[in-house]
Amino acid sequence: MTVNLSSSTPVSDSMQPKTTYASLGNTMWSEIKNDKMALYSLILLTAILVTVYTGSFLLDLEKINRIDLYNIYAKPSTDNWLGTDYGGRDILGTLIIGAKNSITIGVVITLISGLIGLTVGLISGYFGGIIDNVIMRIIDFIIILPFLMIIIVLITVVPVFNVPVFITMLSIFLWTGKARLIRSKTLAESELDYVNASKTLGTPNWKIIVFEVLPNLSSIIIVNLTLTLAGNIGIETGLTYLGFGLPESVPSLGTLVSYASNPDVIQHNWWVWLPASLLILVIMLCINFIGQALKRAADARQRLS
Amino acid sequence: MSLLKVNDLKVHYPILGGFFHTVIDHVRAVDGVSFELRPGETYGLVGESGCGKTTIGRAIIGLNKATSGEINFNGTDLTQLSRGQRRQYTKDIQMIFQDPYSSLNARKRVLDIVAEPIRNFERLSSEEERKRVQFVIERVGLNPEIIYKYPHEFSGGQRQRIGIARALMLNPKLIIADEPVSALDVSVQAQVLNFMQDIQKEFNLTYLFISHDLGIIRHMCDRMGIMYRGRFVEEGTSEDIYNEPQHIYTKRLIAAIPELETANRKEKTHIRNQIAEEYRQTKHQFFDKDGRVFSLKKISDTHSVAMQ
Amino acid sequence: MLKFLLRRTLIMIPQLFILSVLIFLLAKSMPGDALTGQIGPQIDAERLIELREKAGLNDPWHEQYARWIGNVIQGDFGKSAIYQQKVTNLIGDRLGNTLLLSASILLVSYLIAIPLGIIAGRWTDSWVDKLIVWYNYLAFATPLFVFALIILFIFGFTLQWFPIGGSVDIQADKGTMDYVLSKTEHLVLPTMAGSLLATFGTIQYLRNEIIDTKIKDFVKTARSKGVPERKVYSQHIFRNSLLPIAAFLGYEITGLIGGSIFLESIFSYPGLGQLFLSSISSRDFSVVNILVLISGSAAIVGTMLSDLILSWVDPRIRVD
Ligand SMILES: Nc1ncnc2c1ncn2[C@@H]1O[C@H](COP(=O)(O)OP(=O)(O)OP(=O)(O)O)[C@@H](O)[C@H]1O
Ligand SMILES: [Mg+2]
Repeated sequence: MTVNLSSSTPVSDSMQPKTTYASLGNTMWSEIKNDKMALYSLILLTAILVTVYTGSFLLDLEKINRIDLYNIYAKPSTDNWLGTDYGGRDILGTLIIGAKNSITIGVVITLISGLIGLTVGLISGYFGGIIDNVIMRIIDFIIILPFLMIIIVLITVVPVFNVPVFITMLSIFLWTGKARLIRSKTLAESELDYVNASKTLGTPNWKIIVFEVLPNLSSIIIVNLTLTLAGNIGIETGLTYLGFGLPESVPSLGTLVSYASNPDVIQHNWWVWLPASLLILVIMLCINFIGQALKRAADARQRLS
Repeated sequence: MSLLKVNDLKVHYPILGGFFHTVIDHVRAVDGVSFELRPGETYGLVGESGCGKTTIGRAIIGLNKATSGEINFNGTDLTQLSRGQRRQYTKDIQMIFQDPYSSLNARKRVLDIVAEPIRNFERLSSEEERKRVQFVIERVGLNPEIIYKYPHEFSGGQRQRIGIARALMLNPKLIIADEPVSALDVSVQAQVLNFMQDIQKEFNLTYLFISHDLGIIRHMCDRMGIMYRGRFVEEGTSEDIYNEPQHIYTKRLIAAIPELETANRKEKTHIRNQIAEEYRQTKHQFFDKDGRVFSLKKISDTHSVAMQ
Repeated sequence: MLKFLLRRTLIMIPQLFILSVLIFLLAKSMPGDALTGQIGPQIDAERLIELREKAGLNDPWHEQYARWIGNVIQGDFGKSAIYQQKVTNLIGDRLGNTLLLSASILLVSYLIAIPLGIIAGRWTDSWVDKLIVWYNYLAFATPLFVFALIILFIFGFTLQWFPIGGSVDIQADKGTMDYVLSKTEHLVLPTMAGSLLATFGTIQYLRNEIIDTKIKDFVKTARSKGVPERKVYSQHIFRNSLLPIAAFLGYEITGLIGGSIFLESIFSYPGLGQLFLSSISSRDFSVVNILVLISGSAAIVGTMLSDLILSWVDPRIRVD
């Protein structure tokens, strides 16, 4: 074939674009903008994140952890805006550090379990057959298990328990739902002709999976990660509340809430546990509202904008 | 010398079921089909929906495994090759897909779509690559400027041209066109068909042209095979088939072509009734007691019919 | 259909088997063994070795497993190290309490969710619908333990309308009206916390289902024939939607178990969840293992029942 750019004039059917191209990011943003709740949630969540991360960066950890027995369960005051706990430690400081830990760990768990779920789901859905069958049976099984109980047992019996171990354990259980979702979407995509076309063009399977199928799942993945992030923060703080989550040295929002298991504290020292509880609630609500808006953006039929 | 010779090809899809969810039966989608393609010709596969046309095309290009039979391409039996060995034939055999919407990845730019095959087989600088893509894009009648756009910015006909450009990138010898225009507006169909004939000459292509529309096949093809339930009922040149159809199924298909001229419609209806009557009387000559089609018999140099 | 039933039931057997093996292996990796509960700390080393041999603790693990599972199937769950009594006895009362609480949560959540789901579906996009959808978002997003604590704080401690712990007033005698009332009173707060959040799935399912049926032809035909709207809804919806909802129950078991751990801990409610937590903290692993086994088996059987019922109610769901 010789390159001959000057000959033959391009002709034929009309060239007007049918629609203007809106990237995934644009659709998602416009969907959020059109949903007041989602927009407020985004603003509030951003504010919380900025406060928590800059705050924990500026705070003097040692000062927060210093026990001051003359100042235990102090009411909120100008010194301690949210009062102090049983060791006379500043609640606001612990709240900020705890929020940072809870959010960070929630994100890490979401990403790791997301990665596992994504890989398994893509492989299972793309190749099908026996691999798929076996994987799906395993997932069916793991999903039925009483997850909370087993996690608690595992946490109690592991020889060493620290944050990475905690993250690993949760991730091992939490990938299954994602894998199932991704698998069914991959299955549907794989039947489309663009995948067949790639096969006939000599593109290797792994490239088809990563560069052809995966980009078409991006919106579903983003929505799912967002919604599970909220869930994972709930699971982490819940486990910590029960005493099977983050170790004492790494306070979580759940740590502050867990002081409420002391009837005296829940009744008389609301400032110890209530702010953390409300913060968990607010963070989870915000993430969920954003996630719902993203979900609509991913599904053209439901769009508001 | 033939370019492609298909010999007694069978493709059976397993039906899963029963207690342990195992294979309990097979769909005989293609059940003993033989034909050959000569270089430069257009060979048509016609038949009603579900008769196995697509399955033949997919088996030739390697998307389905052949259950048995041979697919000889330039003397090599493709069914015997491993995945790796088969890859080199990818360059020679390409496919144009029926649905111009689902066959282009919506998340990729035209440049990336059309360049995909050469990225798999050649190492080019992005500059060379762009030139090659633009050259072919121009050949299929599109403006070379459009390579940075996304598929949804084009009409169905334009998309089909992009799909054709992609198939042309590797300089294939054989192109399998599976109902390439049936998803398009009637007004655009003729345009795309004529254009396919133009590039056939220019790029020296052989077509395996699949359609359920005898009108289109007649317009495009030199020779053709008529399929019914996974088997050939008749094979011959366009003249053979249109002027002297022998098999009752072929006759019915031809009679079913809609008549555009109002004047002839009445006559057509009459013919249809006649053929329906003939079908009732001569059925046993064409189908065995299980309703299966007989094997092809030669009745002239170019013409074969499946008769007792 | 029969084949599906058989196959689905057969899948359950390996599931139960794997669950029991996993728990057994987990138990082996735990500190302490079946003897720990029966001997005093002052036993000498030689005697201990002898006892271990006699109890078969030196046999290969699969033999030990066979013996253990054999006992479990016969209802012999072993002995608790801490309480010094049979696990069966320990579980007895608490199982009743947990079942009572779960039933009460399910009942109340259906009582809330079914009317709300129907209302939201019938009057889509009205302000009531918007309100219900909003509530549903909240129910979906709110973590149970936070909500339960806030309920406890408001209604238990601040307003003091309901008891803050236990399952019954200790002074009430079994069989009296007071006893029943006291039980009910103790159920209120945990039920409230659990059921208000558990409505999510049902409301969403019903609302979607009704919106879907609304556009179907037979509803239009029935309406055009002058059948009152209410009748169309009640007949169709009840036949086609409520049965699946009841069938979903089996899928809820895993969630109910998780929920009962939080609720029983927060409301000091003496059920299996609380027993589980206290056995974990006192390292009473023979109890823990049985509880995990029971919960896991319940979830496996429940899921199977749901699958079967659903496939019977709605053949579309019968996917393999
Ligand atoms: N993956 C599959 N599994 C099982 N059966 C299949 C599969 N693909 C196709 N079939 C069956 O094989 C037969 C032939 O299908 P094929 O797609 O080749 O028909 P076709 O002639 O191309 O029809 P159409 O004109 O509708 O495209 C049909 O009966 C179809 O139901
Ligand atoms: Mg086809």
